[in-house]
Amino acid sequence: MFSKHVTRDISAYCHGELSNEESKQFAEHLISCAKCRTKFDEVKLGIKFAEQLPKLSAPDHLWRDLEPLLARQNEAQPFRSPVWSWQMKAAAAAVLLLLSSWGIWLVYSNRVDEISADKRAWRVRRLDGAPKVGAERISNNGELAVGEWLETDANSRAQIAVGSIGNVEVDENTRVRLLETRPTEHRLELARGKMSAQIWAPPRLFFVNTPSAVAADLGCAYTLEVDDHGASLLRVTSGWVALQLKARESMVPAGAACETRPVLGPGTPYFEDSSASFQESLKKVDFDSGAVTRSAALTVLFEQARPRDTLTLWHLLMRVDGEDRGRVYDKMAALSPPPPGVTREGILGSDQTMVNIWRNELETTWMGVGKGVPKPIKTGLSDRLKELTPK
Amino acid sequence: MMAAEQLIDGRVIEACQQGDRAAFQLLFETYKDKVFSIAVYSSGGDRAVADDVTQQIFLKLFTAIRQFRGDSEFTTWLYRLVVNACLDERRRRRRLLPWGETVAMRNPGDKKPQEKQYARLEVTEAVQAAIAELKPKFRLPILLKYIEGLSYEEIASVMGCSKGTVASRLNRGHSQLAKRLSHLNNPAAWGE
Repeated sequence: MFSKHVTRDISAYCHGELSNEESKQFAEHLISCAKCRTKFDEVKLGIKFAEQLPKLSAPDHLWRDLEPLLARQNEAQPFRSPVWSWQMKAAAAAVLLLLSSWGIWLVYSNRVDEISADKRAWRVRRLDGAPKVGAERISNNGELAVGEWLETDANSRAQIAVGSIGNVEVDENTRVRLLETRPTEHRLELARGKMSAQIWAPPRLFFVNTPSAVAADLGCAYTLEVDDHGASLLRVTSGWVALQLKARESMVPAGAACETRPVLGPGTPYFEDSSASFQESLKKVDFDSGAVTRSAALTVLFEQARPRDTLTLWHLLMRVDGEDRGRVYDKMAALSPPPPGVTREGILGSDQTMVNIWRNELETTWMGVGKGVPKPIKTGLSDRLKELTPK
Repeated sequence: MMAAEQLIDGRVIEACQQGDRAAFQLLFETYKDKVFSIAVYSSGGDRAVADDVTQQIFLKLFTAIRQFRGDSEFTTWLYRLVVNACLDERRRRRRLLPWGETVAMRNPGDKKPQEKQYARLEVTEAVQAAIAELKPKFRLPILLKYIEGLSYEEIASVMGCSKGTVASRLNRGHSQLAKRLSHLNNPAAWGE
Protein backbone atom coordinates (compact mmCIF):
# COMPACT_ATOMS: atom_id res chain seq x y z
CA MET A 1 0.00 0.00 0.00
CA PHE A 2 1.37 3.42 -0.94
CA SER A 3 -0.94 5.80 0.94
CA LYS A 4 0.83 8.41 3.05
CA HIS A 5 1.87 7.65 6.60
CA VAL A 6 -0.64 8.35 9.33
CA THR A 7 1.57 8.80 12.39
CA ARG A 8 0.43 12.39 13.01
CA ASP A 9 -3.20 11.27 13.24
CA ILE A 10 -2.72 8.50 15.78
CA SER A 11 -3.93 10.38 18.87
CA ALA A 12 -6.78 11.95 16.90
CA TYR A 13 -7.83 8.48 15.73
CA CYS A 14 -7.70 7.04 19.23
CA HIS A 15 -9.72 9.95 20.63
CA GLY A 16 -12.41 9.63 17.95
CA GLU A 17 -11.49 13.00 16.42
CA LEU A 18 -11.38 11.67 12.85
CA SER A 19 -14.44 11.25 10.63
CA ASN A 20 -15.63 7.73 9.85
CA GLU A 21 -14.04 7.89 6.41
CA GLU A 22 -10.75 9.19 7.83
CA SER A 23 -10.81 6.48 10.50
CA LYS A 24 -11.30 3.82 7.88
CA GLN A 25 -8.43 5.12 5.73
CA PHE A 26 -6.26 5.37 8.83
CA ALA A 27 -6.97 1.76 9.82
CA GLU A 28 -6.42 0.47 6.29
CA HIS A 29 -3.04 2.15 6.11
CA LEU A 30 -2.04 0.94 9.55
CA ILE A 31 -2.78 -2.68 8.76
CA SER A 32 -0.30 -2.60 5.93
CA CYS A 33 2.38 -0.25 7.30
CA ALA A 34 4.78 -1.63 9.89
CA LYS A 35 6.33 1.78 10.56
CA CYS A 36 3.02 3.43 11.43
CA ARG A 37 1.95 0.37 13.41
CA THR A 38 5.02 0.62 15.62
CA LYS A 39 4.31 4.28 16.25
CA PHE A 40 0.65 3.45 16.87
CA ASP A 41 1.58 0.97 19.59
CA GLU A 42 3.80 3.57 21.22
CA VAL A 43 1.13 6.31 21.22
CA LYS A 44 -1.50 3.82 22.36
CA LEU A 45 0.70 2.96 25.34
CA GLY A 46 1.13 6.68 26.09
CA ILE A 47 -2.66 7.06 26.05
CA LYS A 48 -3.02 4.09 28.38
CA PHE A 49 -0.71 5.83 30.83
CA ALA A 50 -2.37 9.24 30.44
CA GLU A 51 -5.74 7.64 31.21
CA GLN A 52 -4.37 6.79 34.67
CA LEU A 53 -4.15 10.46 35.64
CA PRO A 54 -6.58 10.91 38.51
CA LYS A 55 -8.64 14.03 39.04
CA LEU A 56 -7.61 15.51 42.36
CA SER A 57 -9.80 17.12 45.00
CA ALA A 58 -9.03 20.67 46.00
CA PRO A 59 -8.43 21.02 49.75
CA ASP A 60 -11.37 22.17 51.86
CA HIS A 61 -9.54 25.18 53.24
CA LEU A 62 -9.24 26.75 49.79
CA TRP A 63 -12.56 28.61 49.90
CA ARG A 64 -12.01 29.68 53.52
CA ASP A 65 -8.62 31.12 52.51
CA LEU A 66 -10.04 32.68 49.39
CA GLU A 67 -13.01 34.48 50.94
CA PRO A 68 -11.09 37.20 52.85
CA LEU A 69 -8.90 37.77 49.81
CA LEU A 70 -11.98 38.21 47.66
CA ALA A 71 -13.45 40.64 50.20
CA ARG A 72 -10.25 42.66 50.18
CA GLN A 73 -10.17 42.65 46.42
CA ASN A 74 -13.81 43.70 46.30
CA GLU A 75 -13.06 46.65 48.55
CA ALA A 76 -10.29 47.73 46.23
CA GLN A 77 -12.36 47.23 43.07
CA PRO A 78 -16.01 47.35 44.11
CA PHE A 79 -18.64 45.59 42.03
CA ARG A 80 -22.02 47.02 41.15
CA SER A 81 -24.72 45.93 43.59
CA PRO A 82 -25.80 42.34 43.23
CA VAL A 83 -29.00 41.64 41.32
CA TRP A 84 -29.76 38.12 42.53
CA SER A 85 -33.20 37.75 43.98
CA TRP A 86 -33.66 35.80 47.21
CA GLN A 87 -35.12 32.97 45.10
CA MET A 88 -31.94 32.76 43.04
CA LYS A 89 -29.82 32.84 46.19
CA ALA A 90 -31.89 30.02 47.65
CA ALA A 91 -31.45 28.07 44.42
CA ALA A 92 -27.69 28.66 44.47
CA ALA A 93 -27.52 27.54 48.09
CA ALA A 94 -29.44 24.39 47.22
CA VAL A 95 -27.14 23.72 44.28
CA LEU A 96 -24.08 24.25 46.48
CA LEU A 97 -25.48 21.80 48.99
CA LEU A 98 -26.16 19.36 46.17
CA LEU A 99 -22.63 19.80 44.80
CA SER A 100 -21.09 19.26 48.22
CA SER A 101 -23.10 16.12 48.92
CA TRP A 102 -22.42 14.86 45.42
CA GLY A 103 -18.69 15.48 45.92
CA ILE A 104 -18.69 13.71 49.28
CA TRP A 105 -20.61 10.80 47.79
CA LEU A 106 -18.11 10.60 44.91
CA VAL A 107 -15.13 10.62 47.20
CA TYR A 108 -16.48 8.09 49.67
CA SER A 109 -17.98 5.68 47.20
CA ASN A 110 -15.04 6.04 44.79
CA ARG A 111 -17.43 6.05 41.86
CA VAL A 112 -15.80 8.67 39.63
CA ASP A 113 -14.55 6.16 37.10
CA GLU A 114 -17.77 4.19 37.11
CA ILE A 115 -19.81 7.29 36.39
CA SER A 116 -17.77 8.20 33.36
CA ALA A 117 -17.79 4.57 32.29
CA ASP A 118 -21.58 4.44 32.58
CA LYS A 119 -21.86 7.20 30.02
CA ARG A 120 -19.96 5.21 27.42
CA ALA A 121 -22.34 3.41 25.11
CA TRP A 122 -22.69 1.96 21.62
CA ARG A 123 -25.65 2.44 19.31
CA VAL A 124 -27.84 -0.60 18.73
CA ARG A 125 -30.22 -1.04 15.79
CA ARG A 126 -32.97 -3.62 15.64
CA LEU A 127 -32.74 -5.87 12.57
CA ASP A 128 -35.56 -8.32 13.40
CA GLY A 129 -37.97 -9.01 16.24
CA ALA A 130 -37.54 -7.26 19.57
CA PRO A 131 -34.01 -7.52 20.99
CA LYS A 132 -33.53 -6.53 24.63
CA VAL A 133 -30.95 -4.27 26.22
CA GLY A 134 -31.03 -5.09 29.91
CA ALA A 135 -34.69 -5.69 30.71
CA GLU A 136 -35.95 -3.25 28.05
CA ARG A 137 -36.97 -4.25 24.54
CA ILE A 138 -35.68 -1.82 21.92
CA SER A 139 -38.03 -0.66 19.17
CA ASN A 140 -35.75 0.46 16.35
CA ASN A 141 -32.74 2.07 17.94
CA GLY A 142 -31.21 1.90 21.37
CA GLU A 143 -27.98 2.18 23.30
CA LEU A 144 -25.79 -0.45 24.89
CA ALA A 145 -23.87 1.03 27.82
CA VAL A 146 -20.77 -0.46 29.42
CA GLY A 147 -21.86 -3.39 31.58
CA GLU A 148 -25.21 -3.88 29.82
CA TRP A 149 -26.34 -7.10 28.12
CA LEU A 150 -27.93 -7.25 24.67
CA GLU A 151 -30.06 -10.35 24.24
CA THR A 152 -31.90 -11.74 21.23
CA ASP A 153 -34.49 -14.51 21.19
CA ALA A 154 -35.31 -17.01 18.45
CA ASN A 155 -36.95 -14.27 16.33
CA SER A 156 -34.78 -11.25 16.88
CA ARG A 157 -31.49 -9.88 15.58
CA ALA A 158 -29.63 -6.63 16.14
CA GLN A 159 -26.70 -4.61 14.87
CA ILE A 160 -24.22 -2.80 17.11
CA ALA A 161 -22.11 0.12 15.89
CA VAL A 162 -18.69 -0.39 17.46
CA GLY A 163 -17.79 3.26 17.96
CA SER A 164 -16.42 4.45 14.64
CA ILE A 165 -14.45 1.31 13.92
CA GLY A 166 -17.00 -1.20 12.67
CA ASN A 167 -20.20 -3.15 13.13
CA VAL A 168 -21.28 -6.30 14.90
CA GLU A 169 -24.38 -8.21 13.86
CA VAL A 170 -25.95 -10.21 16.64
CA ASP A 171 -27.86 -13.30 15.50
CA GLU A 172 -30.82 -15.05 17.09
CA ASN A 173 -30.58 -16.56 20.60
CA THR A 174 -27.49 -14.61 21.46
CA ARG A 175 -26.32 -12.85 24.60
CA VAL A 176 -23.57 -10.20 24.41
CA ARG A 177 -22.34 -7.62 26.87
CA LEU A 178 -20.33 -4.46 26.38
CA LEU A 179 -17.35 -4.74 28.71
CA GLU A 180 -15.25 -1.75 27.71
CA THR A 181 -15.08 1.01 25.15
CA ARG A 182 -12.25 3.52 25.21
CA PRO A 183 -9.73 4.83 22.70
CA THR A 184 -7.29 1.98 23.24
CA GLU A 185 -9.70 -0.90 23.74
CA HIS A 186 -13.20 -1.95 22.72
CA ARG A 187 -14.33 -5.21 24.29
CA LEU A 188 -17.47 -7.34 24.08
CA GLU A 189 -18.36 -10.53 25.90
CA LEU A 190 -20.17 -13.21 23.90
CA ALA A 191 -21.76 -15.54 26.46
CA ARG A 192 -23.69 -17.63 23.92
CA GLY A 193 -25.02 -17.47 20.37
CA LYS A 194 -23.49 -16.05 17.23
CA MET A 195 -22.14 -12.69 16.10
CA SER A 196 -20.53 -11.40 12.92
CA ALA A 197 -17.98 -8.60 13.20
CA GLN A 198 -16.68 -6.31 10.50
CA ILE A 199 -13.92 -4.14 11.90
CA TRP A 200 -11.72 -1.56 10.21
CA ALA A 201 -9.56 -0.87 13.24
CA PRO A 202 -5.84 -1.27 13.71
CA PRO A 203 -4.77 -4.60 15.17
CA ARG A 204 -5.71 -5.42 18.75
CA LEU A 205 -8.20 -2.64 19.36
CA PHE A 206 -11.37 -4.75 19.28
CA PHE A 207 -11.70 -7.88 21.45
CA VAL A 208 -14.43 -10.41 22.11
CA ASN A 209 -14.28 -12.47 25.30
CA THR A 210 -15.85 -15.92 25.12
CA PRO A 211 -15.94 -18.56 27.87
CA SER A 212 -13.00 -20.37 26.25
CA ALA A 213 -10.82 -17.72 24.56
CA VAL A 214 -10.46 -14.07 23.64
CA ALA A 215 -10.73 -13.12 19.97
CA ALA A 216 -8.44 -10.20 19.09
CA ASP A 217 -9.21 -8.45 15.86
CA LEU A 218 -6.28 -7.78 13.55
CA GLY A 219 -8.27 -5.80 10.96
CA CYS A 220 -10.82 -8.22 9.63
CA ALA A 221 -14.30 -9.71 9.28
CA TYR A 222 -15.36 -12.87 11.04
CA THR A 223 -18.14 -14.82 12.72
CA LEU A 224 -17.90 -16.19 16.23
CA GLU A 225 -20.27 -18.72 17.71
CA VAL A 226 -20.49 -19.92 21.31
CA ASP A 227 -22.51 -23.00 22.32
CA ASP A 228 -24.21 -23.72 25.62
CA HIS A 229 -21.08 -25.49 26.96
CA GLY A 230 -18.84 -22.49 26.34
CA ALA A 231 -17.06 -23.98 23.30
CA SER A 232 -16.72 -21.64 20.34
CA LEU A 233 -16.10 -21.66 16.62
CA LEU A 234 -14.36 -18.79 14.84
CA ARG A 235 -14.62 -18.42 11.05
CA VAL A 236 -12.61 -15.62 9.43
CA THR A 237 -13.77 -14.12 6.13
CA SER A 238 -11.16 -11.39 5.74
CA GLY A 239 -7.92 -10.34 7.44
CA TRP A 240 -6.67 -12.12 10.56
CA VAL A 241 -7.97 -12.88 14.02
CA ALA A 242 -5.91 -14.02 17.00
CA LEU A 243 -7.54 -16.37 19.49
CA GLN A 244 -5.95 -16.45 22.89
CA LEU A 245 -6.27 -18.06 26.29
CA LYS A 246 -3.36 -17.35 28.63
CA ALA A 247 -0.14 -18.23 26.75
CA ARG A 248 -1.88 -20.28 24.04
CA GLU A 249 -2.62 -18.34 20.86
CA SER A 250 -3.87 -19.27 17.40
CA MET A 251 -3.56 -17.01 14.38
CA VAL A 252 -6.49 -17.47 12.02
CA PRO A 253 -6.38 -15.96 8.52
CA ALA A 254 -9.21 -15.43 6.02
CA GLY A 255 -10.68 -18.70 4.82
CA ALA A 256 -9.70 -20.51 7.99
CA ALA A 257 -11.56 -21.49 11.16
CA CYS A 258 -10.63 -22.45 14.69
CA GLU A 259 -12.47 -24.13 17.55
CA THR A 260 -11.99 -23.44 21.23
CA ARG A 261 -12.87 -25.35 24.40
CA PRO A 262 -13.26 -24.12 27.99
CA VAL A 263 -10.07 -24.58 30.03
CA LEU A 264 -8.10 -25.86 27.00
CA GLY A 265 -8.44 -22.61 25.01
CA PRO A 266 -7.98 -22.28 21.26
CA GLY A 267 -7.42 -25.34 19.12
CA THR A 268 -5.38 -25.33 15.92
CA PRO A 269 -6.57 -23.22 12.97
CA TYR A 270 -7.45 -24.99 9.71
CA PHE A 271 -8.59 -23.93 6.27
CA GLU A 272 -12.25 -24.62 5.76
CA ASP A 273 -11.62 -26.13 2.33
CA SER A 274 -9.47 -28.88 3.84
CA SER A 275 -10.90 -32.43 3.74
CA ALA A 276 -13.47 -33.62 6.27
CA SER A 277 -11.12 -36.29 7.60
CA PHE A 278 -8.37 -33.69 8.01
CA GLN A 279 -10.69 -31.57 10.15
CA GLU A 280 -11.96 -34.57 12.09
CA SER A 281 -8.41 -35.72 12.84
CA LEU A 282 -7.41 -32.24 13.92
CA LYS A 283 -10.24 -32.17 16.41
CA LYS A 284 -8.83 -35.35 17.99
CA VAL A 285 -5.30 -33.96 18.02
CA ASP A 286 -6.53 -30.80 19.72
CA PHE A 287 -9.08 -32.03 22.19
CA ASP A 288 -8.80 -35.82 22.72
CA SER A 289 -7.13 -36.77 25.97
CA GLY A 290 -5.70 -40.12 24.79
CA ALA A 291 -2.08 -39.99 23.55
CA VAL A 292 -2.58 -43.01 21.26
CA THR A 293 -5.70 -41.50 19.64
CA ARG A 294 -3.90 -38.22 19.11
CA SER A 295 -0.88 -39.86 17.54
CA ALA A 296 -3.07 -41.91 15.18
CA ALA A 297 -5.05 -38.78 14.27
CA LEU A 298 -1.78 -37.02 13.48
CA THR A 299 -0.98 -39.75 10.93
CA VAL A 300 -4.34 -39.21 9.15
CA LEU A 301 -3.74 -35.48 9.27
CA PHE A 302 -0.39 -35.89 7.50
CA GLU A 303 -1.97 -38.03 4.80
CA GLN A 304 -4.63 -35.44 4.07
CA ALA A 305 -2.49 -32.29 4.36
CA ARG A 306 -1.96 -30.02 1.33
CA PRO A 307 0.74 -27.29 1.05
CA ARG A 308 -1.77 -24.72 2.29
CA ASP A 309 -2.44 -26.80 5.39
CA THR A 310 1.04 -25.92 6.61
CA LEU A 311 -0.92 -23.25 8.50
CA THR A 312 -2.23 -26.05 10.72
CA LEU A 313 1.10 -27.85 10.83
CA TRP A 314 2.94 -24.65 11.71
CA HIS A 315 0.79 -24.20 14.82
CA LEU A 316 1.19 -27.90 15.70
CA LEU A 317 4.95 -27.58 15.38
CA MET A 318 4.83 -25.12 18.29
CA ARG A 319 2.53 -27.32 20.35
CA VAL A 320 3.53 -30.99 20.05
CA ASP A 321 6.57 -32.48 21.76
CA GLY A 322 9.28 -35.07 21.16
CA GLU A 323 9.00 -37.44 18.26
CA ASP A 324 5.73 -35.92 17.02
CA ARG A 325 7.46 -32.59 16.59
CA GLY A 326 9.98 -34.16 14.23
CA ARG A 327 7.14 -35.81 12.30
CA VAL A 328 5.37 -32.48 11.88
CA TYR A 329 8.56 -30.86 10.62
CA ASP A 330 9.20 -33.63 8.11
CA LYS A 331 5.67 -33.37 6.72
CA MET A 332 5.93 -29.58 6.43
CA ALA A 333 9.30 -29.85 4.71
CA ALA A 334 7.82 -32.33 2.22
CA LEU A 335 4.86 -30.03 1.44
CA SER A 336 6.77 -26.76 1.37
CA PRO A 337 10.54 -27.18 1.46
CA PRO A 338 12.26 -24.70 3.78
CA PRO A 339 14.29 -21.95 2.10
CA PRO A 340 18.10 -22.20 1.92
CA GLY A 341 19.73 -21.76 5.30
CA VAL A 342 16.78 -23.17 7.24
CA THR A 343 17.57 -26.55 8.74
CA ARG A 344 15.67 -29.27 10.60
CA GLU A 345 17.86 -28.82 13.67
CA GLY A 346 17.39 -25.06 13.57
CA ILE A 347 13.59 -25.25 13.43
CA LEU A 348 13.29 -28.01 16.05
CA GLY A 349 15.71 -26.04 18.22
CA SER A 350 13.50 -22.93 17.80
CA ASP A 351 16.22 -20.87 16.10
CA GLN A 352 14.31 -17.58 15.83
CA THR A 353 15.99 -16.40 12.63
CA MET A 354 15.22 -19.65 10.81
CA VAL A 355 11.70 -19.71 12.19
CA ASN A 356 11.09 -16.20 10.85
CA ILE A 357 12.56 -16.91 7.42
CA TRP A 358 10.47 -20.02 6.88
CA ARG A 359 7.29 -18.46 8.20
CA ASN A 360 7.65 -15.50 5.83
CA GLU A 361 7.87 -17.97 2.98
CA LEU A 362 4.81 -19.88 4.18
CA GLU A 363 2.64 -16.78 4.53
CA THR A 364 2.17 -16.42 0.81
CA THR A 365 0.88 -19.99 0.65
CA TRP A 366 -1.56 -19.33 3.48
CA MET A 367 -2.83 -16.03 2.16
CA GLY A 368 -2.60 -16.29 -1.60
CA VAL A 369 -4.56 -19.39 -2.53
CA GLY A 370 -8.14 -20.44 -2.18
CA LYS A 371 -11.62 -19.44 -3.09
CA GLY A 372 -12.95 -16.43 -1.24
CA VAL A 373 -9.59 -15.43 0.18
CA PRO A 374 -8.98 -11.71 -0.34
CA LYS A 375 -5.91 -10.30 -2.00
CA PRO A 376 -3.07 -10.82 0.47
CA ILE A 377 -1.65 -7.89 2.33
CA LYS A 378 2.04 -8.47 1.86
CA THR A 379 3.63 -5.42 3.38
CA GLY A 380 3.95 -5.71 7.12
CA LEU A 381 2.29 -9.07 7.47
CA SER A 382 5.54 -10.80 8.27
CA ASP A 383 6.28 -8.38 11.05
CA ARG A 384 2.83 -8.83 12.46
CA LEU A 385 3.12 -12.58 12.44
CA LYS A 386 6.54 -12.37 14.04
CA GLU A 387 4.90 -10.55 16.90
CA LEU A 388 1.87 -12.73 17.13
CA THR A 389 2.68 -16.30 16.15
CA PRO A 390 2.61 -18.66 19.11
CA LYS A 391 5.98 -19.12 20.75
CA MET B 1 -26.32 12.46 35.20
CA MET B 2 -26.07 16.21 34.93
CA ALA B 3 -22.52 17.45 34.63
CA ALA B 4 -21.58 19.95 37.28
CA GLU B 5 -20.62 22.45 34.57
CA GLN B 6 -24.20 22.54 33.33
CA LEU B 7 -25.14 24.36 36.51
CA ILE B 8 -23.16 27.35 35.35
CA ASP B 9 -25.39 29.24 32.96
CA GLY B 10 -25.60 32.84 31.77
CA ARG B 11 -27.46 33.94 34.90
CA VAL B 12 -24.76 32.63 37.22
CA ILE B 13 -22.03 34.32 35.20
CA GLU B 14 -23.99 37.56 35.12
CA ALA B 15 -24.43 37.41 38.88
CA CYS B 16 -20.69 36.81 39.29
CA GLN B 17 -20.02 39.83 37.09
CA GLN B 18 -22.12 41.88 39.50
CA GLY B 19 -20.16 40.65 42.49
CA ASP B 20 -22.58 38.15 43.97
CA ARG B 21 -20.64 36.05 46.46
CA ALA B 22 -23.04 33.07 46.38
CA ALA B 23 -22.82 32.86 42.60
CA PHE B 24 -19.07 33.02 42.75
CA GLN B 25 -18.94 30.29 45.36
CA LEU B 26 -21.04 28.14 43.03
CA LEU B 27 -18.56 28.80 40.25
CA PHE B 28 -15.69 27.95 42.60
CA GLU B 29 -17.27 24.71 43.80
CA THR B 30 -17.95 23.65 40.21
CA TYR B 31 -14.44 24.13 38.88
CA LYS B 32 -12.13 23.97 41.93
CA ASP B 33 -11.13 20.30 41.53
CA LYS B 34 -10.32 20.60 37.85
CA VAL B 35 -8.38 23.82 38.30
CA PHE B 36 -6.54 22.39 41.29
CA SER B 37 -5.68 19.17 39.39
CA ILE B 38 -4.10 21.11 36.54
CA ALA B 39 -2.23 23.28 39.03
CA VAL B 40 -0.87 20.22 40.85
CA TYR B 41 0.30 18.48 37.68
CA SER B 42 1.78 21.70 36.35
CA SER B 43 3.72 22.36 39.53
CA GLY B 44 5.41 18.97 39.58
CA GLY B 45 3.11 17.62 42.27
CA ASP B 46 3.77 20.42 44.74
CA ARG B 47 0.39 20.84 46.43
CA ALA B 48 1.38 23.95 48.36
CA VAL B 49 2.28 25.69 45.11
CA ALA B 50 -0.91 24.31 43.54
CA ASP B 51 -2.95 25.81 46.42
CA ASP B 52 -1.44 29.23 45.73
CA VAL B 53 -1.91 28.94 41.99
CA THR B 54 -5.54 27.86 42.38
CA GLN B 55 -6.21 30.78 44.69
CA GLN B 56 -4.56 33.19 42.28
CA ILE B 57 -6.63 31.82 39.41
CA PHE B 58 -9.92 32.31 41.26
CA LEU B 59 -8.91 35.73 42.49
CA LYS B 60 -8.10 36.73 38.95
CA LEU B 61 -11.32 35.16 37.75
CA PHE B 62 -13.26 37.16 40.31
CA THR B 63 -11.97 40.40 38.78
CA ALA B 64 -11.63 39.39 35.17
CA ILE B 65 -15.09 37.90 34.90
CA ARG B 66 -16.38 41.45 34.53
CA GLN B 67 -14.62 41.52 31.18
CA PHE B 68 -16.12 38.24 30.02
CA ARG B 69 -18.41 39.11 27.11
CA GLY B 70 -19.50 35.65 26.08
CA ASP B 71 -17.61 35.75 22.77
CA SER B 72 -16.30 32.27 23.57
CA GLU B 73 -17.53 29.48 25.83
CA PHE B 74 -17.04 30.29 29.50
CA THR B 75 -15.05 27.08 30.03
CA THR B 76 -12.70 27.96 27.17
CA TRP B 77 -12.18 31.39 28.69
CA LEU B 78 -11.63 29.91 32.16
CA TYR B 79 -9.14 27.28 30.99
CA ARG B 80 -7.23 29.94 29.07
CA LEU B 81 -6.89 31.74 32.38
CA VAL B 82 -5.75 28.51 34.05
CA VAL B 83 -3.19 27.68 31.35
CA ASN B 84 -1.74 31.20 31.45
CA ALA B 85 -1.55 31.16 35.24
CA CYS B 86 0.25 27.81 35.22
CA LEU B 87 2.71 29.02 32.57
CA ASP B 88 3.34 32.25 34.54
CA GLU B 89 3.92 30.26 37.72
CA ARG B 90 6.34 27.98 35.95
CA ARG B 91 8.27 30.93 34.55
CA ARG B 92 8.37 32.50 38.00
CA ARG B 93 9.59 29.30 39.64
CA ARG B 94 12.26 28.78 37.00
CA ARG B 95 13.64 32.18 37.86
CA LEU B 96 13.66 31.26 41.53
CA LEU B 97 14.78 27.65 41.11
CA PRO B 98 17.26 27.57 38.26
CA TRP B 99 17.78 23.85 38.57
CA GLY B 100 14.09 23.14 38.14
CA GLU B 101 11.96 20.82 40.12
CA THR B 102 12.73 17.18 40.52
CA VAL B 103 10.12 14.55 41.04
CA ALA B 104 11.11 11.23 42.53
CA MET B 105 9.89 8.44 40.31
CA ARG B 106 9.40 5.07 41.86
CA ASN B 107 10.17 1.99 39.90
CA PRO B 108 7.66 -0.76 40.65
CA GLY B 109 9.85 -3.36 38.99
CA ASP B 110 11.28 -4.99 42.13
CA LYS B 111 8.41 -5.31 44.47
CA LYS B 112 7.47 -7.94 46.98
CA PRO B 113 4.44 -10.13 46.23
CA GLN B 114 2.35 -8.54 48.98
CA GLU B 115 2.92 -5.19 47.34
CA LYS B 116 1.28 -6.31 44.12
CA GLN B 117 -2.04 -4.80 45.12
CA TYR B 118 -0.36 -1.40 45.23
CA ALA B 119 1.03 -1.73 41.71
CA ARG B 120 -1.69 0.40 40.15
CA LEU B 121 -1.04 3.17 42.63
CA GLU B 122 2.62 3.10 41.71
CA VAL B 123 1.76 3.35 38.01
CA THR B 124 -0.43 6.35 38.79
CA GLU B 125 2.39 8.03 40.71
CA ALA B 126 4.89 7.32 37.96
CA VAL B 127 2.49 8.76 35.37
CA GLN B 128 2.08 11.92 37.44
CA ALA B 129 5.84 12.28 37.67
CA ALA B 130 6.31 11.67 33.95
CA ILE B 131 3.60 14.22 33.14
CA ALA B 132 5.36 16.78 35.32
CA GLU B 133 8.57 16.26 33.33
CA LEU B 134 6.94 17.01 29.97
CA LYS B 135 7.42 20.41 28.42
CA PRO B 136 4.37 22.62 29.05
CA LYS B 137 3.41 22.62 25.39
CA PHE B 138 3.00 18.82 25.56
CA ARG B 139 1.78 18.61 29.14
CA LEU B 140 -1.05 21.15 28.97
CA PRO B 141 -2.92 19.53 26.05
CA ILE B 142 -2.71 16.21 27.92
CA LEU B 143 -4.13 17.76 31.09
CA LEU B 144 -6.89 19.52 29.17
CA LYS B 145 -7.74 16.26 27.44
CA TYR B 146 -7.62 13.84 30.36
CA ILE B 147 -8.51 16.06 33.32
CA GLU B 148 -10.97 18.43 31.67
CA GLY B 149 -12.20 16.11 28.93
CA LEU B 150 -11.97 18.83 26.27
CA SER B 151 -12.21 18.11 22.55
CA TYR B 152 -9.32 18.96 20.22
CA GLU B 153 -11.21 22.01 19.02
CA GLU B 154 -11.72 23.24 22.59
CA ILE B 155 -8.07 22.62 23.47
CA ALA B 156 -7.05 24.53 20.34
CA SER B 157 -9.24 27.42 21.40
CA VAL B 158 -7.83 27.44 24.95
CA MET B 159 -4.22 27.27 23.75
CA GLY B 160 -4.68 29.60 20.81
CA CYS B 161 -3.41 27.18 18.20
CA SER B 162 -4.84 24.98 15.45
CA LYS B 163 -6.48 21.58 15.90
CA GLY B 164 -3.60 20.07 13.93
CA THR B 165 -1.11 21.49 16.41
CA VAL B 166 -3.12 20.03 19.29
CA ALA B 167 -3.13 16.61 17.57
CA SER B 168 0.59 16.80 16.95
CA ARG B 169 1.42 17.90 20.53
CA LEU B 170 -0.77 15.19 22.02
CA ASN B 171 0.94 12.65 19.78
CA ARG B 172 4.36 13.76 20.95
CA GLY B 173 3.23 13.93 24.56
CA HIS B 174 1.84 10.39 24.40
CA SER B 175 5.04 9.11 22.75
CA GLN B 176 7.19 10.71 25.42
CA LEU B 177 5.04 9.22 28.17
CA ALA B 178 5.32 5.78 26.56
CA LYS B 179 9.11 6.07 26.32
CA ARG B 180 9.57 7.37 29.86
CA LEU B 181 7.26 4.74 31.35
CA SER B 182 8.13 1.79 29.12
CA HIS B 183 9.49 -0.06 32.17
CA LEU B 184 5.91 -0.21 33.45
CA ASN B 185 4.55 -1.87 30.33
CA ASN B 186 4.11 -5.27 31.92
CA PRO B 187 1.19 -7.00 33.65
CA ALA B 188 2.96 -7.00 37.03
CA ALA B 189 3.18 -3.22 37.04
CA TRP B 190 -0.58 -3.01 36.43
CA GLY B 191 -1.34 -5.49 39.19
CA GLU B 192 -2.62 -8.07 36.66
